[in-house]
Amino acid sequence: MLLDFARLGPWRVALSLIALLVGAYLLLPILLIVALSFGSSQWLQFPPPGWTLRWYEDLFDDPEWIASFLTSFKIAAVVTVLSVGIGLMASFGLTRGTFRGRQALRALFLTPMILPVVVLAVALYAFFLRLHLNGTFLGFVLAHLVIALPFSIIAISNALERFDRDIETAAIVCGASPLEAKIRVTLPGIRLGLISAAIFSFLASWDEVVIAIFMASPDLQTLPVRIYGTLRQDLSPVIAAVSTLLIALTAALMAAAALLRKDDRS
Amino acid sequence: MSFLEIANISKTFGNVTAVSDVSLEIARGEFVTFLGPSGSGKSTTLYMIAGFFEPTRGDVRLEGRSILSEPSNKRNIGMVFQRYTLFPHLSVAENVAFPLRVRRRPAAEIAGKVEEMLALVRLESFAGRMPAQLSGGQQQRVALARALAYNPPLLLMDEPLSALDKKLREEIQDEIRRIHRQTGVTILYVTHDQEEALSLSDRIALFNHGKIEQLGKGRELYEAPRTRFVADFIGHSNFLDCTIARSHGGFADITLPDGSALERVAVHGDARAGGRGGLMIRPDRLRLSPLRGENGPGIDVVLSDATFIGETYHFVLTTGWGASVNMRMPASLARADDVTIGTNLRLHWEASDASLFGQ
Ligand SMILES: Nc1ncnc2c1ncn2[C@@H]1O[C@H](COP(=O)(O)OP(=O)(O)OP(=O)(O)O)[C@@H](O)[C@H]1O
Ligand SMILES: [Mg+2]
Repeated sequence: MLLDFARLGPWRVALSLIALLVGAYLLLPILLIVALSFGSSQWLQFPPPGWTLRWYEDLFDDPEWIASFLTSFKIAAVVTVLSVGIGLMASFGLTRGTFRGRQALRALFLTPMILPVVVLAVALYAFFLRLHLNGTFLGFVLAHLVIALPFSIIAISNALERFDRDIETAAIVCGASPLEAKIRVTLPGIRLGLISAAIFSFLASWDEVVIAIFMASPDLQTLPVRIYGTLRQDLSPVIAAVSTLLIALTAALMAAAALLRKDDRS
Repeated sequence: MSFLEIANISKTFGNVTAVSDVSLEIARGEFVTFLGPSGSGKSTTLYMIAGFFEPTRGDVRLEGRSILSEPSNKRNIGMVFQRYTLFPHLSVAENVAFPLRVRRRPAAEIAGKVEEMLALVRLESFAGRMPAQLSGGQQQRVALARALAYNPPLLLMDEPLSALDKKLREEIQDEIRRIHRQTGVTILYVTHDQEEALSLSDRIALFNHGKIEQLGKGRELYEAPRTRFVADFIGHSNFLDCTIARSHGGFADITLPDGSALERVAVHGDARAGGRGGLMIRPDRLRLSPLRGENGPGIDVVLSDATFIGETYHFVLTTGWGASVNMRMPASLARADDVTIGTNLRLHWEASDASLFGQ
């Protein structure tokens, strides 16, 4: 390679330094939040004067936070199942189908990824108003499904394209019906794509705040919405604790996805 | 009634005719190879038998019964593909067990059959491996075991060895021959490698442009090619352009471009007096001598290239009118003079080794 790290000479030090700074710039806010969530100061003082688990206790004692956590989790879980299911069928159609307008349809499926989320949120809000879906669990799920689906379709389509179709055909010649061949051979063959579709669908819903603010009602608030709402009232270290938990789950899922990709390549 | 009967099948894709009116009868236990250049319709014919494509016209009958209305998974036919198609998430043993599992056979029977099949392809000790841990040759042997696990009456193979190197290919060819003998299964095999076709098959169907150009034992195709295409494809023959002076009862008198005349050359196809033709001579039926001398038909040539390919020399000779002639000669018979580029030599052959193809 032209820019081989090993052959950069003295530039290596400079490059390492820049990389380190960029990494720090990206990571420090997160580390700060994590540190504050364990800090004993009521006023989010930094560096923390002492360490405590009090904010986590407060968090778990508060039924509203727990309710939001469960709401977020339930919505994300249902979105994940639907997104992977629909994404799987759509991907079969998009990669195996020979109908006209296939490329246009793929582009249409992916538009939510490039559309500004606010635009999507306003549109969904106006639309759901007529259907009386705003503030309902179903409304949340449908809205988040729109943004989760592109992730599923990309992950699953890629896996399907890489999966040699002759393998499925071989299963059929062996006596399996076309459906049985898909279930017993093709699905296990693209399982990494399915798992990463699930992870990214879950995260798309779990992290989502803009649409959720539009959809939320007083008794149905996702975790990010409650964080946002609470922030506007007072700046409690409990928020740092919630954020830390959010970050932990997200990081765990991202790490799982990264591990899978590494597994796939080896 | 033959075992497998392919009756006038054709297949068109849009306006491309991939297979055009192919008929073939195959006896039980026979090993028949489809040989032919790329795009000649070999795979398409095989896929119609397997049920991946529906023929545009014609019928396929197995033991007298048409199988066209049955879907692939109900045809009970075995198949080995060109690409590696082992199920990547299943072990070798589970791959072989798969067709029996979808047939809901009892566990004891499956275990016994898997063992028997792995023994057949000599991979007993690999039962627990995953496909990714096998070499290409081993993968194709497992694929073969999987395809035979349910005792299919017919085994289809579409260039199963084309991804392997030459030495491995020859090894597995031996395996396939042995397995064919041992199981008695009827095999339809596709290849575009003529040596592979010759060494494996009872009969060869030579495909060209979607049709069977000639069907017969390898030796028949080699010794009695019916068309110029067959003569050219099997054995890389030489064709010398000539004009036909006279044609009489299966023989012709011809004139080569340098004016030398040959009498009573056996004719294949039709040759009209005054027309043009190709004089076919096999590269291994030619002899060289140091100018004039020997009797029999011959032409003056210049040696333009000599390649030593172990055991044999491959010569390229240029005729007086600029045509190239390929020739093979056992290395032990080649003299120093024969391999000096630029030497003038006399090329000759037995009259019975040359034949004429009309154009
Ligand atoms: N699914 C298809 N759609 C359109 N045309 C096709 C299709 N399959 C095959 N053909 C065409 O049919 C002709 C015969 O193809 P086929 O695959 O049978 O050739 P082959 O003899 O197996 O060649 P090869 O040695 O390259 O595998 C080719 O011209 C090919 O382009
Ligand atoms: Mg082919």
